[in-house]
Order: sequence, then structure tokens, then C-alpha cells
Amino acid sequence: MRNATYVKMALNMLLHSKLRSWLTIIGIVIGVGAVVGIISLGDAMEAQVQSRLADMDLTKITITPGYSGAQSRMPGPGGPGGGGSSSTDAELTDDDVDALQGIDGVLYIDTQISGSEEVDYAGETATLSITGVDPQVWQYMNTLEVGSGRLLEPADKNVAVIGSSIATEIFDQEIGVNQVITVNGKSVRVVGVLEEEGGSEDRKIYMPLDAAVNLIEDAEEDVFDSIVVKVESEDLVDPTIEEIEERLMVSRQIHQEKDRDFSLSSSLSMAESVTEMTSSMTLFLGAIAAVSLLVGAVGIANTMFTSVLEKTKEIGTMKAIGAKNRDILMIFVVNSAMVGFVGGVFGVMLGGFVSTLFPYLGVTLMRGGSGAGTGLSPDLMAFGLGLAVLIGVLSGAVPAYRASKLKPVDALRYE
Amino acid sequence: MTLSEAIETLKTTLDPRKFLQSLERAADFYSESDSEQDSDSGDDSGNGPSDSSSGSQSGDSFKGSGAAVKTAALSNGTTPLIKLTDVWKIYQMGEVEFAALKGIDLEIYEGEFVVVLGPSGSGKSTLMNLLGCLDLPSRGAVFLQDRDISELDESELARIRGQMIGFIFQSFNLIPTLGTLENVTLPLEFQEMDPGKARRRAEYLLDIVGLSDKKKNLPSQLSGGQRQRVAIARSLAVNPPVILADEPTGNLDSKTGNYILEFLEKLHEQEGKTIIIVTHDLELVKYATRVVYIRDGEIEKIEHAEKHAEKHAEKHAEKNEMEE
Ligand SMILES: Nc1ncnc2c1ncn2[C@@H]1O[C@H](COP(=O)(O)OP(=O)(O)OP(=O)(O)O)[C@@H](O)[C@H]1O
Ligand SMILES: [Mg+2]
Repeated sequence: MRNATYVKMALNMLLHSKLRSWLTIIGIVIGVGAVVGIISLGDAMEAQVQSRLADMDLTKITITPGYSGAQSRMPGPGGPGGGGSSSTDAELTDDDVDALQGIDGVLYIDTQISGSEEVDYAGETATLSITGVDPQVWQYMNTLEVGSGRLLEPADKNVAVIGSSIATEIFDQEIGVNQVITVNGKSVRVVGVLEEEGGSEDRKIYMPLDAAVNLIEDAEEDVFDSIVVKVESEDLVDPTIEEIEERLMVSRQIHQEKDRDFSLSSSLSMAESVTEMTSSMTLFLGAIAAVSLLVGAVGIANTMFTSVLEKTKEIGTMKAIGAKNRDILMIFVVNSAMVGFVGGVFGVMLGGFVSTLFPYLGVTLMRGGSGAGTGLSPDLMAFGLGLAVLIGVLSGAVPAYRASKLKPVDALRYE
Repeated sequence: MTLSEAIETLKTTLDPRKFLQSLERAADFYSESDSEQDSDSGDDSGNGPSDSSSGSQSGDSFKGSGAAVKTAALSNGTTPLIKLTDVWKIYQMGEVEFAALKGIDLEIYEGEFVVVLGPSGSGKSTLMNLLGCLDLPSRGAVFLQDRDISELDESELARIRGQMIGFIFQSFNLIPTLGTLENVTLPLEFQEMDPGKARRRAEYLLDIVGLSDKKKNLPSQLSGGQRQRVAIARSLAVNPPVILADEPTGNLDSKTGNYILEFLEKLHEQEGKTIIIVTHDLELVKYATRVVYIRDGEIEKIEHAEKHAEKHAEKHAEKNEMEE
């Protein structure tokens, strides 16, 4: 029997199959849809994380006051975390900065304060995050890109570099370089507007530390909300963290771990944990999807067994008129592959549909994710289809083999 | 003699042209086939033989010798087509053994019209399954052209069934999801015949049984008699030398049943096809050249229907003369 005939016979069987056979296809549809959707989600997250990491400076270590066991505060990329002062009484001061001098591999040390203050511009008011940074080093320590104007320079006083959405979105009137905004009643000249970064980074105002101390309520001279240390290379991050820890313990006269009142975090360890989290999440969801695929496979196998049983007499007849075991085997395997294929087509469609929903579901891990999950790649579609056909063939193999081995007499006599 | 050779020899004994003529007459015979169809089959007579002769070589060269071989086989009885020696079929049902056939000895020659007659449960179907290579004996041996079928593997048996034997069942056994034409084409597809050729052949056969206007119908859209005619067309698709029928008229009224039997008789008389019918219906004895009475798995007696056989032989003689 020719291959074309197998296809013809299998197709005939498929087209004449009962509603309940079609219902079992749903298992494959959902399974393939889930697997394809999750892989697509994983890919999107992965891509996003990677693009973030590429932008990120992974050589920075941030010291913050307060300690709650693990590294709890995750600074955003490109700069240390903002978000008010710590709830503990601990403070970071000049003494701590002094203690950090002379560590091998450290390039710069930046001291920062931050707070949320009212900003007026053109008759409108908004509460925005203000970060005071050391103008001596800040421009060398970050990966922020200037859209227009410049970054802060050592001689700067009452000037600011603002994020792109402050410039364009928050106020009705766009803020350009050399415009003056009012922070807590004091005039501040904008010297630079940053490129769009995505996320909260775009809603920040950077100012020289000395000027910021005057603007931010509760801020004191020589008391910092965070100290950011930049080292030469990623390899030096971990040893430097240890070194800093030791020195601060000594300088702050802390003898026991439980008395510790400062935290260290590095963008590198954060990046690693995010990557790890992303992949383990994808793996976990993938495993769930694989289970639904397995259920789908069992469904197809079940349908095939039923179908073989129903067609026992036909199998007997075909053998009587010259069908070889191989012919019967092939007809059923091809039929089962077709069932898988149909399930795969719908499954891929389902997966594609689901992946367009990701942005709405807010499943993006990183902040401000844009462009995540816009449809499936052709490779993924082919993979989904291939997977479905493979499952069809595998789950149809045993029933088909059973069908092919039926003895002609027994099959013919079957009622 | 190899299996292929055996099959080839058998097939070449058939004269395709005669085959066509007889079948046309059969089509005439049935009241449902109208004059239109006659002219159709007349048109086909030019193409039909070349299609149907694909298994054999050229029709003409074998015309005479084919008939000769047949009569030789009939009269001498030297080369049985199918031979059963002390065949037992024992079914194991749990602890109990049941012998459905108990030491059957039977020889079937080419060109015979054998009716196996017996009451229900006597083992007729069991016997027929053995004759048709659908089953193997528990004891004893079934020889087909001097070859023990127990020694053949699955695919060889499938090939014998596919090329040498045309089955007709009591319950028709058409594939319900295939149309009439596709059902008739199916055996040819198992033999990997060229699709165009197979289609033309199937159309031709449907025409012969008077169903050329039902090509697309599913079996469920046909009457019982029509279904059996499709089944006959299917059994003739590969032009097999042997037709095996198990109660072919069991599910039909007597008129339709008669048509089927007359058709088979024509196949026998004009094609020299070996026909074996299994039935409990005494009526069928009149078509037979030989009747095998079977009871409780044993052959009770074998009767040669002398008159019939003579008439049959005469007819052949006449025919040969005419052709010369
Ligand atoms: N697979 C089987 N297992 C057990 N016993 C069987 C089997 N097949 C047939 N038999 C028995 O063998 C005997 C002969 O069966 P078979 O079908 O040959 O009868 P039959 O002559 O064709 O009858 P009918 O005219 O009713 O069709 C019966 O008694 C039946 O019960
Ligand atoms: Mg029977």
C-alpha cells in the first residue's frame, strides 16, 4: 500500500470520527497551547531580563542602613534604590565612607540621599522622587544616557538632571534643558534630560548632594541614605562585599551578627537571582504544561483504543481483502498523527492567543516591560506542531500495533 | 513453484475478454440495470479488457490454453487448488476444548462450484476461514497450490488473500466510511495498483453490477442487495481465481439472492472462476458442481452434481469451438 493511500484512509477515518473523538483533541489543544504559551512567556521574560542586564552596571554595590536578614532592598538598574529612609535608627555617615577608603579594586564611592518632594512647574505640582548624588563621581558611575543637555558635574549646585517622563509626561508643558523647576519652593535649573529607561527610573530627579540636602526634608549634612561603591569588574563584586562588610562591622563597632545595622546589595547578585527566578519559573510552568500534554496524550490513546475496537470488523475485512499488518498499522498511526496535528494547529493558535495576553495579565517580571509576548515565533509554532504530531504518533502507536496484530478471523467475527 | 508464480499462473488462466462478456450479460440480467447501462458497458468493452488484464499478460495468447487448463483440472483432478488433509480446528474456551472441525479431508479443484452445506453451528464458517487463509488449522494442513499455508508468514497470507481470493460475506462487510467506488477500489490499493487504473477498473465493475449511478453513495445509503452487489464488485476487483462466499444470500430476499447466485454462476461458467459457497440453504445445491455436506465438524458426504457438471463441460466445449 502506498503512503498516499495511508494518508487517504487515515484522513477518511479522521473526517468520519465521532464527536467524542474530537473532544479528546481538546486535551492536546490545551497541552500544546500551554507549552507553547509558556515557552513564549519564558522567552519573552528571558529576553527582557537579558536586555535589562545588558543595560545594567553589574559592578555596583549598594550599602543601606538597617538589616533584616537577607538583602531585602533591591536597587533598580542604573542606580540605587530610592524609596525613603530606613525605618531603623541606623544611619550611614561620613565615617562609614572613610572606613571604605582604600579597598582594592574600588573605583568610586558615591553617597546618596533620597526623598519625595513636591515639584512645581508651569503652575502644576507633582510629588517626585529626588536623589542627591555626589557630583564628583556620579557621572562616571552610572549607565544612564543623556537625551539632551548633560549629566551633573562637580561644580554644579542648584541644578538637576531629570528622567524622561518627568520631562515629557508628568507636566502638561514639556520641560527642556535650562528650564527652571521649583522643588519645595526653591528654584532648580534643569541641565539634562535622560533617555527613556523604562520604569521608575524615568520619574527621578538627580541633584548634587549638597543642594539636595537643603531641599529634602529630614535630610542632614553627612548622613546618607545609601552609599554606592563601584568596583573595577564583576569578579571583584563578591570579595569587595566581604571586605566592606568586615570594615563596616569594625568601624561601626558591631560584634555580633544580630546587632548588624546595615545591608549590602549588589546589582550582580540581584541580576543573578532574577535570571534564576525567571528560568525556574519557566521550568515550573513548563512542567505543569507538560502534565497537561501527558493528559492529552492519554486522551488520544484512549480514543485510538476505542476506535480500534469499533473498527475491529473493518480491520478484519481489510485483512480479508489483502491488507497486510503493516498497512493496518500505518493507517492507524497516520490517523493518530493527524489527530495530533489538528490538536497542534489549534494548540498553537491557543498558545499564540494566550501569549498576546501576557502584557494585560501583568505577567512580566521586570518593571515597565514593554513589547513582551507579541505572538509566537515561527520556530515555536513549528515546535508546537511537531510536538503535537509526535504525541499523536506515540499515543497511537500501541493501539495501532494492537489493531495490526488482530487475527483476521477474530476481527471478522467481532460483533 | 513460488507463490508469485502460482498466483500468476492462476491469473493467466482467465480470459479478460470473456470475463467482460459474461459480466455484461449479468448486468443485463438484473432488472434494475436499464438499457442505458448496457450501452455504457458496451463502450467500456474496448477499454475494459486492457484494464482488467493488468494482472495477466495479453488476453489473446491465453484464451485457448486457459480453457484447456481448466478442463484438464476438472477432468483429471490431479492438481487440487486447495487441499485439506485431516484438518482439525479446536477452540479452547477456558478449560473446555471444542472441536469445530474434526479431521476434514477435502480437495477443491480449479473451476469447481462447490457448495458447502450444513446446519447452523456445523463448522461451515470455520471451514471457510481456513479455505480463505483467514485462519490456520489446529491440526492437519491446508495446502494452496501444494504449499502449506501454515508455513507462510503474515504478509504472504495477506498477499494470497489479496490476489487470489475474493471474499463475499453474509453481512457484506463494506467499509462504512468509504463510498461505493472507494470500497471497490480498496483491494486494488492494497495491491498498489496505479490509482487511475484502479479507479477505471472499479468504475467498470460497478457498471457490471449495475450500480454506476451510486458511485458516491456510502454503504449506509444503499439497500442490502445493492450492498452485496458492491461487495461482489469488490471481490472481483483484483480478478481473483477463487471466490469464497459465506451465506452470500443470507441477508437478502429470494429475488435479490437469485441475482447474486446467477451472477456467481456466470462467473463460474464463463470465467472459469472457482466458486465456493458456504450455506445452510438447500436451494443453492442446484448451482453446484459438487456439494459438501458437513455436520458437527465432519464431512457427512460429498455429492457430485453430475448433470450440472456435464452441462458445464458441454458449454465450455461449445464455447471453445465457437471461438476457434
Ligand atoms: N472463536 C470461537 N471460539 C469458540 N468456539 C467457536 C469459535 N468460533 C466458532 N466456534 C464454534 O464452532 C462451531 C462452528 O462454528 P461456525 O461459525 O463454523 O458455524 P457455522 O456452520 O458457520 O454456523 P452458521 O450457519 O450458524 O453460520 C460452533 O459451535 C461455534 O460455537
Ligand atoms: Mg457461519
